Amino acid sequence: MRVGQRLRAAAAATALAVLAVGCTAGGGSGAISNGESAGAKKGPVKQGGTVTIAELATQPDFIFPLAPATNQNGWNVNLTQPLWPFLVYAGDGADSVVNKDKSLFSSLVYSNGDKRITITLKSWNWSDGQPVTSRDFMFVYNLLKANASNWNAHLVGLFPEDVSKASTPDAHTVVLDLTQAYNPDFYTDDVLSTIPLLPQHAWDKTSATGAVGDNDTTTAGAKAVYTYLQKEGAQTTGFATNPLWQVVDGPWKLSEFRSNGYYSYVPNAHYSATKATVDKVVFSPFTSDTPEINALRSGSSLDVASLPLNDIKQAQALESSGYSIASVPIPGVAEIQPNLYNSEVGAVLRQLYVRQAMEYLIDRKQIVDKVYNGYADPGNGPVPVKATGAWASPLEKAGGPYPYDPAKAKALLQAHGWNVVPDGTTTCVSPGTGSAQCGAGINAGQALTFNLAYSSGRATTDVQNAAVKSSEAQAGITINLKSEPFNTLISTIGTCTVASHPASGCGWQLAEFGYQPYPLYPNGTGFFDTGGSNNSGGYSDPKMDQLIKATEYGSSTQAFTDYEDYAAQQLPWLWLPLREGILVYRTKLQGVVPLNPFSDGQNFEDWAYTS
Amino acid sequence: MTAYLIRRIGQAIVVVVGVLVLTFLMIHLVPGSAARATLGTRATAERITVFNAAYGLDRPLASQFLTFVKQAAEGNFGTSYSMQQPVSTLIAQRLPRDGLLLGLSTLLALVIALPMGIFQAVRRGRVADHAFTVVSFVLYSMPDFFFALLLIAVFAVQLHLLPSEAPQAESVGGILADPRGLVLPVVTLTLVSVAGFSRYMRTSAVNTLAQEYIQVARSKGLPERLVLRRHVLRNSLLPVITVLGLQAPNIVAGAVIAESVFNYPGMGLLFYQAATSKDYPIMLGSTLVVGVATVLGSLFADIAYSFLDPRIRYVNA
Repeated sequence: MRVGQRLRAAAAATALAVLAVGCTAGGGSGAISNGESAGAKKGPVKQGGTVTIAELATQPDFIFPLAPATNQNGWNVNLTQPLWPFLVYAGDGADSVVNKDKSLFSSLVYSNGDKRITITLKSWNWSDGQPVTSRDFMFVYNLLKANASNWNAHLVGLFPEDVSKASTPDAHTVVLDLTQAYNPDFYTDDVLSTIPLLPQHAWDKTSATGAVGDNDTTTAGAKAVYTYLQKEGAQTTGFATNPLWQVVDGPWKLSEFRSNGYYSYVPNAHYSATKATVDKVVFSPFTSDTPEINALRSGSSLDVASLPLNDIKQAQALESSGYSIASVPIPGVAEIQPNLYNSEVGAVLRQLYVRQAMEYLIDRKQIVDKVYNGYADPGNGPVPVKATGAWASPLEKAGGPYPYDPAKAKALLQAHGWNVVPDGTTTCVSPGTGSAQCGAGINAGQALTFNLAYSSGRATTDVQNAAVKSSEAQAGITINLKSEPFNTLISTIGTCTVASHPASGCGWQLAEFGYQPYPLYPNGTGFFDTGGSNNSGGYSDPKMDQLIKATEYGSSTQAFTDYEDYAAQQLPWLWLPLREGILVYRTKLQGVVPLNPFSDGQNFEDWAYTS
Repeated sequence: MTAYLIRRIGQAIVVVVGVLVLTFLMIHLVPGSAARATLGTRATAERITVFNAAYGLDRPLASQFLTFVKQAAEGNFGTSYSMQQPVSTLIAQRLPRDGLLLGLSTLLALVIALPMGIFQAVRRGRVADHAFTVVSFVLYSMPDFFFALLLIAVFAVQLHLLPSEAPQAESVGGILADPRGLVLPVVTLTLVSVAGFSRYMRTSAVNTLAQEYIQVARSKGLPERLVLRRHVLRNSLLPVITVLGLQAPNIVAGAVIAESVFNYPGMGLLFYQAATSKDYPIMLGSTLVVGVATVLGSLFADIAYSFLDPRIRYVNA
């Protein structure tokens, strides 16, 4: 999966998921509509007005859409997407599909055994009146080709390295010959959806006073242009004033950007599709959800905001103040990652039957019902059933391979030489590698005791993990919980593999980061493949690698199902329920619902006030 | 006095450098990688290498420290890993905000607490003294976040009289242009501080009132108002000055809870976020600013003593 997609989705995490869920049982909540199925309220539209959106606990710091490798601020994508949309727009209303109306291509044709892509661009204009052409795509391609290692969304082997030849037969056509055949779903949904078009006629220069030319056509020139644009892109004081960033092809132009993260858009008067109805969109920063909720309740000018499910009891009061509330599933997978190469428990966690027993002991249904009040994906496997249901296999839809079953968990452990002591400490009594023994590297007396580090700050996560700890104890598995701020947590978690597992970064045993976001095509690239960028625990299985590659290279639906079911069964991670996002919006603001799980609510050109 | 000042400034430099050395060592001793904290869970080894090289984290600690000191002497505290902006810019944006909020609340707290403390001392043991003591203890024992939320619940959520957020303008002028937004945060911080100042003032004034020179002043027929102002107030201020000097670093270090509750990002939140994300340049830059404020506050207190109490001279100190 593409890093850029994850950055974008990670920003959605901040906006939609932080808004998220979790809830204590109890009433008081008003009507929360399913944001995907809820129909947009239709009424006489009032032209104009300002929409103020809460921006929670983060702010953009880079505007050039191709950010450097050292900048992983996912919110930057949220800032730039309304200005320079991606070639492929993910999500059409509530449907997890490519949105052809909002995408910049009019056709994408795969040929030559899926080794060639012919992209026909729509007739589209930049805000300065110049047409968007295939030269603009080539500008992006040339910049990335020369600077891929300093692009934060770059993954070795994929775009642009996988392009053997790029050509532009005419002003609106791009032909990409790829080094190998790809699954069109994968390439369109996960690769082309991370590439914006950028204005070559305005940006192809190496200094503010330099002339615009074809600098990008040489490696040295492309490096110089990239360096210049990245330098300018980091100057927050120039975000709304630098002439470079005023040339856009999206529905919006940035009109103001303050150092505290407050920023606003006004409609791009020359936008090539349906122009926005509201006159202005403002992002107002909040340090945390507490002042955000207070602002909503005190009748501030906030029109759209997130609602942590801890605060779901506020729903009724908010509704009586003129707000509506909708939920939206998050495209991602929530997990506990096991460190298979931790020096103390790696050998234990490498045993599939141990992971199976642990998964059998997680009462996911209870967590969904009691912790998340029903607003969560069941987490039956690697693919979310709610957000990307089209890709969920029958096995996952039926509850996954490991429904809650403590008896099976105990039986599995006993069958492999463990003395199971419910609510005590289960220990290995039959070391060895035989089928009825504990397994390689496990000594007699080894206890099933693990440390689970997780990200603090969300009450529902605390409750969920306490529930996991409690249910694991039924088979004598001890989970020691430790919560830390997210950045502190990840600073101590290194990638550990059979070849490299230094004590400095591999002291962790189990880790829960929240969730891992998916793009439109939810395959396991980067998660479960050997050396995957998100495979921190060192899971490695040639069959899994082969199945994942089959989802990238082949277009068979069965290949995806085969991968998905194998991953669900092999448990490279322990599956957990994934909370949904809850959004509060002014009832008189139409077009907010149905919520798009992929756009992060960035489609405000579709919003309008009703009179 | 001049020699004293030079000596104190010399000591201050030593203290600040010492604080920086300790801070630098401690933040590097804490387990974890700044690169991983910044780049996230999907950081590859290659990206971590690029990051460490870009920020000089691949160099020996001594070399990194010397670079920081050299740059800091030129006013350059480096670039924030997580916010990608110069630390000096971030501090320059946030320091005036905290200076305004905390300076204003400290000033108001003094204006309320000093007369209140003297009043209590004069009425020692009476109903008014007991009443103010109860109020002081209630305010002193109340966590500021709770007090802030209470005020917001009443005045913003229920009565809709005041905004729940502090002003969101960037400049001090812009913030002052929205006085309604300042009311709740200033009142919160003021009332929490009043309790401490008034208790110090009361105790000190009680001692002063028992001094012989007060009786002499009264026996000479000096009006009570002048006795209190000229003799009691001035002589009772010394302990409060000490506390005020110690308050200086608090003013520049920010008030993380109040900043968070009132959506007023200042130095407190800046440092907190830096600490949780291992953003070394911000941590060191903030520590330097707070360290300087601490020694300046202490110096201010010492100088103020000599003005308030002519017996104190630093010539041979």
